[in-house]
Amino acid sequence: MDDPLEERLRKLAAEYHEPPETPREEMWEKISAARREQRKVLPLRRAAGPTFRRPLRWAAGIAAVLALGIGVGRLTVRQAPAPIAPPVAAMPTSPLVNAAAYRMATTEHLGQSEAFLTLFKASVKGQRDERLASATARQLLATNRLLLDSPAADDRSTKLLLQDLELVLAEIAQLSPASQSHDRDLITQGLEQGGVLSRLRTAVPAGTSPTRGAL
Amino acid sequence: MSEVRFIEALKPRSRVEERELIRRVLAGDPGAERTMYETQVDRVFRLVYRMAGDQDRAQDYTQETFIRAFNRLAEFRGEAALSTWLGSIAISVTLNGLRKVRRSNEREVALDDVMPAAPSAREADPDLKKRMAQAIDALPDGYRAVFVMHDVEGYTHEEIASSLGVHPGTSKAQLFRARARLREALADFAKD
Repeated sequence: MDDPLEERLRKLAAEYHEPPETPREEMWEKISAARREQRKVLPLRRAAGPTFRRPLRWAAGIAAVLALGIGVGRLTVRQAPAPIAPPVAAMPTSPLVNAAAYRMATTEHLGQSEAFLTLFKASVKGQRDERLASATARQLLATNRLLLDSPAADDRSTKLLLQDLELVLAEIAQLSPASQSHDRDLITQGLEQGGVLSRLRTAVPAGTSPTRGAL
Repeated sequence: MSEVRFIEALKPRSRVEERELIRRVLAGDPGAERTMYETQVDRVFRLVYRMAGDQDRAQDYTQETFIRAFNRLAEFRGEAALSTWLGSIAISVTLNGLRKVRRSNEREVALDDVMPAAPSAREADPDLKKRMAQAIDALPDGYRAVFVMHDVEGYTHEEIASSLGVHPGTSKAQLFRARARLREALADFAKD
């Protein structure tokens, strides 16, 4: 930022939404009141049972997504009737099962995202209409956030990839029919600079067909 | 002792002191909670205010940031500084809050009112400061957050990357694009 405009910009930027003095006491009163309320409620919750609800909720969510996927797959693929198997007792969800379910859901999501971004990039190059792009990006963004927030997300490189993907999807989600081609070009430039697409391709195992029914 | 010097005296001098402060907060020491608040609130409020541009919202988001931080303090692993961790919560709370405001405004305001004004000649809009603020407001959330944090509040790319959960390279790229857009929006002023 060396030219005169940059210097002027910098000075003007310093005045952007210039904060007043921090209302410390006023905010602290509200924070401490909220904390007091929470302390009243928390002991009751603790007494109600152990606090492993969150992982269970996530496991249930991922299991529901997988079940839905399997259900859709069975509806769309015709198969010979399978012999009736005796009922099997339900197994309790273990951390290993959670991790496997998470990996499957992540691979599925990354595959869908890769296919979507490839199509998006092609549509920008071909000057074609990508009105559906922002709607699809929003759907993928929701799944992306679920995967990022999951307690099973312990692999650092996957997490970083999901975080970078989130930014790209958020940018596409904000596109509107009124957006300028410049905005789309910036997104594709960002895709290339961050290597998101190539990292997605590396992360998705060859031979998976994640796009079926997704886009 | 002045208020500023008093707060400076409270600030943890090292990561070890910071960890000790966090340990005390987790142990339920209300004095430690207050100390943590006092030492961090200015930085959080400044950032939130810059993003929200409104006193009431900035207060709400700052309060929510601290309430969430106290609730989730046990999850803080100390990989980044406490201030960076708080910054990430503040940005998340603020951007989510602003999105909700935007959605509700979109429902209420007539289309004519939300359509951006066509770029006008400089004579018609001489207020560069106002134009600058409008141009920053018009940036996508991600660009605006990086621009405000780096160019306005002086965060480093490493701090921004930790706060936003991205690579420092992504932060640099976002800043580059944000500056490009601002330069473009204020191009008619550059002709002097």
